[in-house]
Amino acid sequence: MRGHLDGLLLAVLEQGPLHGYAIIAAVQERSGGVLELRTGTIYPALQRLERLGLLRSSWDAVGERRRRCYELTEAGRRSLEEERTAWREFTTAIGSVLNPVPTSPGLAT
Amino acid sequence: MTVPTSADSRRDDPVEDPVEKYVATLSGALRGPARLKGRLVEEIRDGLDDTVAAYMREGASYERAAREAVREFGTPDGIAPSCQRELTIAQARHTARVAALAAPAALGCWGLIRLAGRDHAWQPGPVTELLTLNLAGVATIAAVLAAVTLAVTGPLARRLPTPHRLPLAVAWTGTAASVAMGITALVLVALSLVVADWPLAVAAGALAAVSHAVVAASARTCRRCARLPVA
Repeated sequence: MRGHLDGLLLAVLEQGPLHGYAIIAAVQERSGGVLELRTGTIYPALQRLERLGLLRSSWDAVGERRRRCYELTEAGRRSLEEERTAWREFTTAIGSVLNPVPTSPGLAT
Repeated sequence: MTVPTSADSRRDDPVEDPVEKYVATLSGALRGPARLKGRLVEEIRDGLDDTVAAYMREGASYERAAREAVREFGTPDGIAPSCQRELTIAQARHTARVAALAAPAALGCWGLIRLAGRDHAWQPGPVTELLTLNLAGVATIAAVLAAVTLAVTGPLARRLPTPHRLPLAVAWTGTAASVAMGITALVLVALSLVVADWPLAVAAGALAAVSHAVVAASARTCRRCARLPVA
């Protein structure tokens, strides 16, 4: 799960800026409640992605409160595409092993 | 109907409030640049408040909502290493920058002292020349390490892992730079007794002393950060 955290955070920010709690809620909602994040670790992860130049943040008014909101940078969008490509390749490879395409007996050596 | 927020319902005694207790414990465990640490702790507090408010909208009491929110976040001891990693890297970047600035400060100091001795009544002796050489060496190493640190903890970190011992290396390089600037300050003040333009020599010594103080404080915090566990 930890290895995919960056991709999950980038993906939920693709549609627009969100603050920390909204990001956590979006991941849980999109996964149908299956993915339970250790909530406290999200905040340093967001700061790390900002340091890497994949996110930018600013204090914005959310309702009556002031919250730190994060949004994707261009580098963040490119990184998200790379994450998606890597994930597709990974699931295709695992799928090929778990569900092999049956070969005709004549081709077996 | 108005739904109470967590802030409305917070217990009067902050020592007994689970959210306040959590934030105080976490804040006490973390070391690093004050502004970044404050921002991180404030964001976590906001997240806890939002989580408490969400539980209360589902009908939970404040006490139960706060307990659930704290459980969801993970224990302060559990999340501190993740938070500390970012703070340690930020402190290493800060120390690298101030240590690198010691190089132009040192050059400025020695430029001033040569200007102060321009009447040729005083010429630098071999000890002073050796000291200048050592100072230039330390300043060069600090500047190179600073450039490497800023690169490998910035955009390059997307492709390369950050060396585990880098913050400690930066901390000790900063310490060396601060010691060099401290010695420079003492030597410059001593030289003010023999050069013609002594106020200029004292000014150079003061510049070195300020540089020493700034680099030493940052290097000390960086050493403390580098000793803490990170995840």
